[in-house]
Amino acid sequence: MSEELVISASKLDEKANDRKRYFIRLNFNERVQHMIFLICFIVLAITGFMIKLPEDIVSKFGEAKDVVFYYRGILHRIAGVVMILVSLYHVFYLLFKPAGRRWLVDMIPKFKDLHVMVGTMLYYVRVKEKPPEYDRFYYKQKLEYGALIAGATLMSITGLLLWTEEMWPKFVLDIAIIVHGMEAILACLAIMVWHMYEVHLKPRKFPIDNMWITGVIDEEEMMEEFPLHYQKIMADPNLQKIFIQQEDEEVERPRGIFARGSQ
Amino acid sequence: MRFQGLMIIKSCMLAAILVMLHFGVAQAQSEVLTDTENCLLCHRYPNMGRYDKSGNKKIYYINDKLFAVSVHGKLRCKSCHVGLDEIPHSNVKKVDCSSKCHIKEPSTGKEFSHENMVNKYRASVHGVDAEINPKRNPEDLPTCKYCHDNPMYRPPRDIWGKSEALSNETLARCLGCHTESQWAERFYSHFTHRMRKRRSQAEVVKLCTSCHEDKEKMARHGLESIQTYKDTFHWTQVQYGVEDAPDCISCHVPLGYSAHDIRPRTDRISPINMANRVKTCSNPGGMQSCHPGATPEFATGRVHAYGMKAQIMAANNGKNFLQDQDITLVVERAEKDFSPEEVFHYKILKLIRLFYKLLIASIISFMLVHQVLDYMASRRHHKSH
Repeated sequence: MSEELVISASKLDEKANDRKRYFIRLNFNERVQHMIFLICFIVLAITGFMIKLPEDIVSKFGEAKDVVFYYRGILHRIAGVVMILVSLYHVFYLLFKPAGRRWLVDMIPKFKDLHVMVGTMLYYVRVKEKPPEYDRFYYKQKLEYGALIAGATLMSITGLLLWTEEMWPKFVLDIAIIVHGMEAILACLAIMVWHMYEVHLKPRKFPIDNMWITGVIDEEEMMEEFPLHYQKIMADPNLQKIFIQQEDEEVERPRGIFARGSQ
Repeated sequence: MRFQGLMIIKSCMLAAILVMLHFGVAQAQSEVLTDTENCLLCHRYPNMGRYDKSGNKKIYYINDKLFAVSVHGKLRCKSCHVGLDEIPHSNVKKVDCSSKCHIKEPSTGKEFSHENMVNKYRASVHGVDAEINPKRNPEDLPTCKYCHDNPMYRPPRDIWGKSEALSNETLARCLGCHTESQWAERFYSHFTHRMRKRRSQAEVVKLCTSCHEDKEKMARHGLESIQTYKDTFHWTQVQYGVEDAPDCISCHVPLGYSAHDIRPRTDRISPINMANRVKTCSNPGGMQSCHPGATPEFATGRVHAYGMKAQIMAANNGKNFLQDQDITLVVERAEKDFSPEEVFHYKILKLIRLFYKLLIASIISFMLVHQVLDYMASRRHHKSH
């Protein structure tokens, strides 16, 4: 009899431990920032590259092409202003919100990142057996984040210069045109090669990593992808409060194309 | 008696025929041109024409109705086609648009002529005059008819032309007093013609580039191809058919200038001379107001992209290019046209572009290699687990 009790008690225990734990990668505020930035980026890229279309494609717009051009300009400016506002808010977020400050501290490049980068490369070319253990943000994210800040700053400045063209010497505008155009090409290609791979094409992420909507990843993925951060969280109850979400706390989880299959 | 009756009937019929004929002729005269020189005796036949020595087909047919409502419909043939005294015509002279055409110009009462325009044109960049404006390759230059091609039908545009109904209604009002419809129509066209753009912006660019994009032809005159315009936002707007988009004449012939009087940019009266740039960009009082707040710093910058001349000047001030006979003239003019400041600007812009090209190539190829390696590594990793 006592044996039975022990078994049932351990089963209960197991159940309690079994409650699935999720780890927060992006909080709600950051997800909204990402969403707005993403929409602005797509609108800006489409309406921006429209002025570089070859003649025969432009003629396909037919009679309405001047109307298309008018709304293209308006949309580009609206999306540009919204993107600048989101970027400014992000700076405010980094400096004045606790979650933002944590983000900033974790994101600042350190010498260790170089070490991790070299280690990863060696793992890629099979010199090392295992990849280095990654923290919350490692070189891939830091490089992309840095590029995003540099790109957004340059695009905002040159965009505003071109918007207020009559106030500047033509030579300044000529530079702004080149920088705005080249930076746009660089940003779009980088997003396609670097970011699209990470969240769409990478094995086990295909067709899309739904973290940008849910903001969380499960324990298995956390242990595999960010082991160092996982260990830090497990060792510190304060971090656990911030980064762990129990299954029964969660509200509805998106299904359909965003559901993650076997993972 | 019977005979007399027949006579009366006969004379009545004759009278009727005469009356009908008279009206018929009168009717015909009010619709077609008055051919006092009897040229239509031959030229009314649609098949009239011949092949010239170079094999080109020449058509000598005149559609009298179309001619009557054309800009020159009031003129007699010989007013412009001087000579033509023999048949078949062997003493034909080229039409000279500056000749006097025996029509009274209503504001002065003098004989009308396009002489004013022709004189301006002869002194302009496009014109040629043996004494005041000699040119090296006069055969390349456009004649009057190159631009004034007067096609039979060109759809009216802008301002008045946007609505055909507006034309009809206005013309109907004219006809209330001016009952001679052919006159009213011609006068109406003459007047509203000046309110219309005959060519869309894209058509203007097409006309100008038909010569100015020909690199060899331009090099013969020391000019560079106007492809440099197509690197500007101005051209993008023209491509999209934006209202008031700036075409060639927007800047080269703004308000107060004549298309017949285009001068080189070094000429003080040229609208693109540095002294006149602010006015040209802001175009006060004109239909297009593109940059109303233009400052001298903004307006005196380079408008077209830098092209061959900038390249020549940047490459050792043109000395390396001097061997190339085809472009000696271009080099000469580039040396006259380009300030050291512009050459410096060109070099800086080129450097920035090169920097970005290298940056994009290196970053994107690093990313590609990195991600391919990552893909292979994670495939390996998942297989082993």
